[in-house]
Amino acid sequence: MPLLINQNIVSDDSWRLIDEDTTDLSGDIIVPLELYTDEADKFTDQQGRIAILIGEDNSVKTLLAEPNQYELIVIDFSNFGEGRGFSFANMLRRADYTGQLRATGYVTRDRLGYMQRCGFDAFDISEEHYENDDAKAWTEISINYQGAADNSQPIYHQKG
Amino acid sequence: MYQYNDNDKTLVNERVEQYRDQTQRFLAKKIPDEDFRTLRLMNGLYIQRQAPMLRIAVPYGLMSSAQMRMLAHVSRKYDRGYGHFTTRTNLQLNWPKLEDVPDILAELATVQMHAIQTSGNCIRNTTTDPLAGVAPDEIEDPRPWCELIRQWSTLHPEFAYLPRKFKMAVTGSPKDRAASEIHDIGIHLVKNEAGEVGFEILVGGGLGRTPHIGKQICAFLEKKHLLSYLEAILRVYNLSGRRDKKYMARIKILVNKLGIDTFREMVDAEWALIKDSELQLPEAEITRIKNNFKPLDYNADAANDNSHINYLDSDPAFKTWYKKNTCEHKQAGYRVVYLSLKSFTKPAGDISDSQMDAVADLADQYSFGEIRATFNQNLVLAEVEQAKLYSLWQKLAEIDLAKANIGTLTDMIVCPGFEFCALADATTLDVADQINARFDDLDYLYDLGDIHLNFSGCLNACGHHHTGHIGILGVDNKGENYYQFRLGGSANEQATLGAALGKGVAKDKVVDTLENILNVYLENRSEGETFFNTYHRIGIKPFKEKAYAATH
Repeated sequence: MPLLINQNIVSDDSWRLIDEDTTDLSGDIIVPLELYTDEADKFTDQQGRIAILIGEDNSVKTLLAEPNQYELIVIDFSNFGEGRGFSFANMLRRADYTGQLRATGYVTRDRLGYMQRCGFDAFDISEEHYENDDAKAWTEISINYQGAADNSQPIYHQKG
Repeated sequence: MYQYNDNDKTLVNERVEQYRDQTQRFLAKKIPDEDFRTLRLMNGLYIQRQAPMLRIAVPYGLMSSAQMRMLAHVSRKYDRGYGHFTTRTNLQLNWPKLEDVPDILAELATVQMHAIQTSGNCIRNTTTDPLAGVAPDEIEDPRPWCELIRQWSTLHPEFAYLPRKFKMAVTGSPKDRAASEIHDIGIHLVKNEAGEVGFEILVGGGLGRTPHIGKQICAFLEKKHLLSYLEAILRVYNLSGRRDKKYMARIKILVNKLGIDTFREMVDAEWALIKDSELQLPEAEITRIKNNFKPLDYNADAANDNSHINYLDSDPAFKTWYKKNTCEHKQAGYRVVYLSLKSFTKPAGDISDSQMDAVADLADQYSFGEIRATFNQNLVLAEVEQAKLYSLWQKLAEIDLAKANIGTLTDMIVCPGFEFCALADATTLDVADQINARFDDLDYLYDLGDIHLNFSGCLNACGHHHTGHIGILGVDNKGENYYQFRLGGSANEQATLGAALGKGVAKDKVVDTLENILNVYLENRSEGETFFNTYHRIGIKPFKEKAYAATH
C-alpha cells in the first residue's frame, strides 16, 4: 500500500484504520466519522492521536468548525467517478485546516493532480493501482486557470 | 475572437500529451476499461455502435478560418471526409480510430482546438447566441463572458467528477437564440432599473427523460460576481446532487426536489463565503477579455452600396435566399448570413471536408475570417457587406450550402439516431429523409412559415424533441421503431415543453401524420399566425382528432 506524502513515498506511517469491531485502540488511529460520533465515550481515554475518516455520504460540515483538532483527516473515494471528496478537501482547506489531508480508497494516478489542487497532500494508493511513474501526475499540466486550495490565485491574479 | 496567449496554448498542448499518455497506458492495459471510459469521455471520445466518435470543442460556436481548415484536414486524414455539427455547436467525427486520437488532438492543438470536456460528468462547452456581437437588439456581447466561463471551467480540479454533465448558455439579447432555459444554468445579460448591466441566472433546466425549464435563482447579479456565483452553484450541486441513479443525477432533479427557494438559500450560504474572494473578477481582466471581441474593422461606406437591391429585383431565387437565410446586422450595410446544413442530401448538421475548406475561404473573403456554428446545426457568416451578398450566395450555391430553408420545417434539429449512436432506440436519419422528400416544395414550406421540427432517436433527447414546435421521438417496441409526436414546445425566450399528441406511429406513417398536423394548422390559422401561436390558441384537441386519420 504505497503512501505518498508531499509527493514522496513514506514507509513509516503510524496511523492505523479501525472499525466498530476493533478492540485494540492503542497508538495513532483513524476513526470513521460515524463511529467517532456514535461511540464518543469509547475514545475519551485514548492515549494515541485520533484522525477522522470521512466517506462521500458523510457531511464534511461537522468537521469545518474545528478541523485543526485533528492532525490527519482521511477522505475515502469509493470509485473512479466519485467527486464529492474534491469539494470536502477544498472546504477543509478553506476552513484553515493545516493538518494532513489524505485520500484513500479508489485513488489512482489520473486523479492525483486534481486531488492535490483541491488540498490533498497525502495519497494512499493500492499496490494494484500504483505505478512507479505516478509522480508524473503532478507535472502533466502546468497552467491553472482557477484558484484552488494549492494556490488561491486564478490566472488573472497570477504573476508572470 | 479570443486570441490564445502562451498560457492558453501551453494548457492545450499539455492536455494533448496527458491524453496521449492515458491512451498509451490504456492500450498497455495499465488503466482499467471503466476508468479509461471516464478519462476518454472527458476528452470527447465515445465508443459508438460502429466506431469511436470524437467530439471536438468549438467554444461558444466561434471558429477562425484556420480552425475550420484544420477540421477539414482531420476529417479527411483521420475520418471519412465529413463531420457533424451538434446542438452544442461542437463538431463530431464519426469514424476516428482510438489509437489516432492523440495525433488528431496534436494537430488540432496547432490551431488552439481541443476536445476538452466535450463529454463526461463535467462542465461542458458553454454555448451562446449565434448572433452575439452583431444582433441589433443586443444589450451586451455575451462572448467575453463565455470566454471567462471557458477559462474558469477548463480543467477545474473540483468539478471534474460531478454527479452528471453540466451545460451552460449565455445570451446577451432579449431574444433567446441559445435555448438557454433548457440548460443546467442559463445566464442572461440584463439591465436593472438603475440601467446597470448584469446577469439574470436560471438554474435546473434540461431535457432528457424528465424535462424542466430553468428557474430563476438570481434576478440580477453584478458582473464581477459571475464566477463566484457559478462556483457556489457547482459546489452545492457537487455535494448534494444524486449519484445513485444516472437519470436522477442532473441538477434539474435536485432543484426540483428541494424547490428553487431552498436551493437558492444553499447557494447563497456558500456564495457568501467566496463572493469577495479572488474569484471576484477584476475590471482589468474583464477589459482584457472584452478587447478580444471589439467591433471589427467595418467598411464605413458599406451602407452606401445598394447594388444588391438590383439583384433582389431581378433574381427571385436570390431574393428568397436573402429573405430566409440572412438577417439584420447592427452595423449599417452588413447582413448576417446563415449557411444551411440541411440541404436534403446529407443528415442535418453534416458537412464534408471540401465544404469546410470552401467555407473557410468564403469566411476569409466575406466575413473577417470567422465562422459560427448554431444551436440549430447550421453555420453563420456573421459579417457580410450587403453589396457582396449576391456573389457569396452564388458561391454558397455551388457547394450546396445555400438551401433557402432556414427557420422552415426542413431546418430540422436531428440527432444521429440508431445508425450512429449507441444510446439511440430508433433511427432518425431515414425518417428525416422521408420528411425532406415529402416537403420538398419550397413554396409550401414558406407558406407554413416559421416552424421548428426537432427529432430525437431516444429519451435522452439530444434532438430536443420537447422544445420543437413539432417534436418527434423515436422509440423501440420489440424491435419495431415507433414515433411519438409532441406539439407546442419552444426553446426561445419563455421556453415551453411540448405536449404529447398520443400514441406513436410506425415508421411509414410518420410523414402522413406530420402532414395531417400541418393541415390542421393551415385550416385553423388566422392571417399571418405561426404554427406555434395557432397551436397555443386552439389547443391540442383539433390536432388529436385529425393527426391519425388516413391520408390520400
